[in-house]
Amino acid sequence: MTDRSLGLLIDEVALGLADDDDVARLEAMAAADPIVAARLDHARATFALLDDTADPLPLPEDIWKRIDQSIDLAEAETAPVVANVSGQRASKTEESNVVELGAVRAQLARWRLSAFAGLAAAVVLAVALSWTVMSPKDPAVIAVLLNDQGDAVALIEGRPDNTTRVTLLERPDVAANQVMQVWTKPDADGPPVSLGLLETGESRTLTIQGLPAPNAQQLYEITTEPAGGSPTNLPTGPILGKGLAKEPVI
Amino acid sequence: MLGVAKRMLKRTDLAEDAVQDALVLVWRKASQYDPERGNATSWLYTILRNRCLTMLRNEARETPTAPEAIDETIEDGVLNTAWDRLESTSDLKRCLAGLDFDTRRAILSSYVLGHSHGEIAGRMNAPLGSVKSWVRRGLVKLRECMT
Repeated sequence: MTDRSLGLLIDEVALGLADDDDVARLEAMAAADPIVAARLDHARATFALLDDTADPLPLPEDIWKRIDQSIDLAEAETAPVVANVSGQRASKTEESNVVELGAVRAQLARWRLSAFAGLAAAVVLAVALSWTVMSPKDPAVIAVLLNDQGDAVALIEGRPDNTTRVTLLERPDVAANQVMQVWTKPDADGPPVSLGLLETGESRTLTIQGLPAPNAQQLYEITTEPAGGSPTNLPTGPILGKGLAKEPVI
Repeated sequence: MLGVAKRMLKRTDLAEDAVQDALVLVWRKASQYDPERGNATSWLYTILRNRCLTMLRNEARETPTAPEAIDETIEDGVLNTAWDRLESTSDLKRCLAGLDFDTRRAILSSYVLGHSHGEIAGRMNAPLGSVKSWVRRGLVKLRECMT
């Protein structure tokens, strides 16, 4: 396979255009070759920016209960009911692992719902860890933004390439005709510079070019601005949270 | 997660099913998560997207959508919103903007709506082979722009 055709295969898999056989072929190649795996992950990460453009919709309140029942059902049946990541049926080996775990979980049935709250927390933790510890691009600085009551409202992770991960720690109350805008001051004595908008009201990664790498003591803040962003390209609205960056000890 | 699934599956109930299936898979495949291969969010969304694509492809095989039932106005609206919201300073937006309108629309509809080559060809009234060729040319151009 030429490099060009491998690149196309990777892009088609990342986009969802590849058929099942091609997906399986590329997954096998990625499992055997870390370079192919890295290229596939990079392609997925590139297009994942489009995931951030979807409307933020709350999960139904009973989702954990439904998942709980779904796992019960899967354990009760001999045949797997859920397709795996490649769209194929789960293997017998995988199923037998689940059955063994099922025996343990059956004893803990009454704790199941709280366990799922734990799973949710674990997923959140895994996401947080992947950004702060496991990511190949560790943040150069981290800032916790506080509101005027001293509550933490957002976590900022600034990377040397000026990619800024903004993780909201609470759902802010922003009017429909307004938007959150993220600012920083690369130069303590200079004007604030916009890093971008949180148009969907959710956590996201912002990228900007032309700024120096973030440094310790750099100011970050989030303000509420008119839809489309500040008309003056400087903060005009109330500050939702602000904080000074620090270099993490890694 | 639900927003991504609903864009692809169109119906809230199906989107909730997809998220539920994806989270069950996360539970069952947690031991396979490899932090060396990207972050957990990316892993989670890859599982979700694959689940949505499987549901879309199975549904298409079982009950093909009649051409008159396809509301292209709604699809256009979803794609336009995605395009408008895509981070304007990102390489992806800059490089997609360099493609011609139809190629960009095809690439966006494959990722955002989960359309197959066949569905793209149907909506553009173009032969499948031609659509595959120019989508591939577009992807090559996109890759060259982003490296």
